[in-house]
Amino acid sequence: MFQIFKMAYRNLNRNRRRSILSALAVSIGLALLLFIAGIVNGEMQGAMQTTIALQSGDLQVRAASYVEEKSSLKWEDLVANPEDVAAQIKKLPQVTIATPRLFASGIINTSSEAIGVQLYGIDPASPANAPIVQGMIAGSFITPDDQNGILIGQTLAQRLGVKVGNQIDLSANTANGNVNEQTFTVRGIFSTNTPAYDQSTIMMPLAKAQAFTGTQNHASTIFIMLDNRDLSNSVAGALTSPGYQVLTWQTMNDLVLETEQLANGYMVLIYLIVLAITATVIVNTLIMAVYERTREIGIMAAIGMKGRRIMSLFLAEASMLAIAGIAFGVVLGWLICAYFAKVGFYIGNVGTNYQFLLGDRIYAMLTLSDTITLTIIALVITLIASLYPAILAARLEPVEALHAQ
Amino acid sequence: MLLYLRLAWRNIWRHRRRTVIVVVAMGLGLAMMMMYDGLMDGFTQAIYGNAIKVLGGNIRVHAAGYAEKADSLPLLPLPNDSAVIQAAQSIPNVVAATRRINTGGLATNSEGAFSVTITGIEPNQEAPISPIAQHVTSGSYLTSNDQDVVLIGKGLADLMNVKVGDKITLVGRSTHQQMRQRSMTVGGIFDIGVPTIEKETVYVSLAEAQSLYDLPNQSTEIVITLEQLGQEPAVMAALTPSLHGDEIESWAQSFPDLQQAISAKNGVMEIFSLIIMLIAGIGVLNLLLMAVYERTREIGLLGAMGMKPRQIMTLFVLEGAMLGLVGIAVGFVLGLIFNGSLGMIGIDYSQFSGISNYLALISGKVYPTLGIENFLNRALPVFIVAILAALYPAREAAQREPAKALHYV
Repeated sequence: MFQIFKMAYRNLNRNRRRSILSALAVSIGLALLLFIAGIVNGEMQGAMQTTIALQSGDLQVRAASYVEEKSSLKWEDLVANPEDVAAQIKKLPQVTIATPRLFASGIINTSSEAIGVQLYGIDPASPANAPIVQGMIAGSFITPDDQNGILIGQTLAQRLGVKVGNQIDLSANTANGNVNEQTFTVRGIFSTNTPAYDQSTIMMPLAKAQAFTGTQNHASTIFIMLDNRDLSNSVAGALTSPGYQVLTWQTMNDLVLETEQLANGYMVLIYLIVLAITATVIVNTLIMAVYERTREIGIMAAIGMKGRRIMSLFLAEASMLAIAGIAFGVVLGWLICAYFAKVGFYIGNVGTNYQFLLGDRIYAMLTLSDTITLTIIALVITLIASLYPAILAARLEPVEALHAQ
Repeated sequence: MLLYLRLAWRNIWRHRRRTVIVVVAMGLGLAMMMMYDGLMDGFTQAIYGNAIKVLGGNIRVHAAGYAEKADSLPLLPLPNDSAVIQAAQSIPNVVAATRRINTGGLATNSEGAFSVTITGIEPNQEAPISPIAQHVTSGSYLTSNDQDVVLIGKGLADLMNVKVGDKITLVGRSTHQQMRQRSMTVGGIFDIGVPTIEKETVYVSLAEAQSLYDLPNQSTEIVITLEQLGQEPAVMAALTPSLHGDEIESWAQSFPDLQQAISAKNGVMEIFSLIIMLIAGIGVLNLLLMAVYERTREIGLLGAMGMKPRQIMTLFVLEGAMLGLVGIAVGFVLGLIFNGSLGMIGIDYSQFSGISNYLALISGKVYPTLGIENFLNRALPVFIVAILAALYPAREAAQREPAKALHYV
């Protein structure tokens, strides 16, 4: 057995250029597979992370009758005494953040147009605002007792042409179905690098939002972050109580999850094409090598090497090529992914909607399980591809093979 | 020169087995790349094709002056809509050209007032092409002689808490900016899986919109539906002479966001395809290098018989070019066969992902296109690789002493 591998190694070494090029084809093929997996995974994870951090949180507790699409502000659809409820929730050991938030749909009126926006009443002191605090690009964050200050997203600010200190005329629905209108001052502008969010979000302190919309001491939701996201279902179970609905990040983000499945579905087809091309390259190169070495095979057969052993010799060569190529391919793929994990692909505003917040950059993210799966698939395909040439070599008639020039 | 061509052609077929291997590798590689292109194009069609139909068609024609006020959906009647429709229908690739009236308005009932776009459509003409018509989940689609019937989306129906048969009030702006209020019966509800889009538009028949908004026998928009995305520029160019001042725009102009999304996706896919080409290129390079090095002895023989190194190189480059051309031809034919047959049956990729048409906008089946558009870009590098792969070893061999080359094993 060992002897076969030694011979195989020598054979490969004898034709170094060809061996390197064949292995390189496998390497690049595998690196490409890893790269694709990294990009797709990074895009989906990125979308999920952004959506959770900005939009859904890990869990939300809402009044049982609250319907998200309506962003209703009727008192019976809201959580009463939200601070107390949040404090209660906070007592659970898995919960790191629990903060009340109020959602309302509003309209910014300018002289020329009316722009629909999503109004967030937030507790300015809560650590849940970290993505916004870190994304402040001008002005300062709002304080809890600010009566006419708001934060707006950068994309929206550009569209309106406003700067910090400028005034904005905002109207919003209220609890009793009327519309309230007031002029607010822009205290700060934030950018989350998520165009869909930055173009439609306005934040104000919860107390002011409640006063503005006539929802005293009520909130739409309790926004909850956990120390371990995977426990969302068990924590949701612990939080369930009559009159409330508990939503996990999985149910709130089913659009992202389904898009991920969709993307995975079509990536499989791309993988198949890449693997097929790599396999074609390998099969043809090996077949060519068998014919080129017909005489040599004839000699080996003539001095008594059995067909099975000739076949194993060729398989050994192929597997050494495959392993070398794959080892290099994994390294190459990791390097490429590491580079794009840091730098990212700029994709701009791809017009995703509010339920699917995608940042303006995709960062590659390669998981270990993807790496292992793809590596094994690449290895198996390469080995299967080398079967036919090996069988071809084993089947040559010694006498005829010797006569080949 | 002719002699070289004949010699080269004979040489390739003298080593038939080798030629077949190289040509098969090249052909399969190119065919796979065509498949990739066709598949990517098919995905774009599957993912965005329906979205564009729902949002308003591949190409839209409006009366002059519309674009300026497009945000407020002005009711500017098209002066010669039937002539434009006739002209459009005579252009190949046009599946349908239909008339519409769009106006801004409100849908109200006891649940509140919701701002919507009211769109008057020709029900019979749009039925075969409209994803809306195909996803009416309760009640029925519109007919051309409806009386006070409206078709609304599930998103809006949920918001307004209405069922088929319930009444809602439509307030729409007619010409001269007056508001027209009318109580309508919900005749059908469509569900395309995206509430945000379903909330935005309600549909009535064109005849009804004409009478409601003071546009007797007129329309404000012509929607032209094409077989595939990407055919817009050619159709627009063909249509322009018959427009007489009407404005024409493709979805790429109306929905720059969508256009950007597609080009961002295509950018990433283009990078992948370059790497795929690199793999195929290395494979072809390797095979050709093997094929020429194998013939070092033969080159020595040619030299010994008095052929100059330059002449030998010409011969080998010609052989490389011929192999390349044959490989490209084989690839083209194989690619057409692959994509043609896959395009007919379609690939049901929902089985890979476990999704089942979760959005009517995205079908779980993709129909690859032929992928011909990019073929030249793919074939040219392969051709160049073929020539270079022949040139380099031939040069090396031709410059050796013939006697030494003869002894090369």
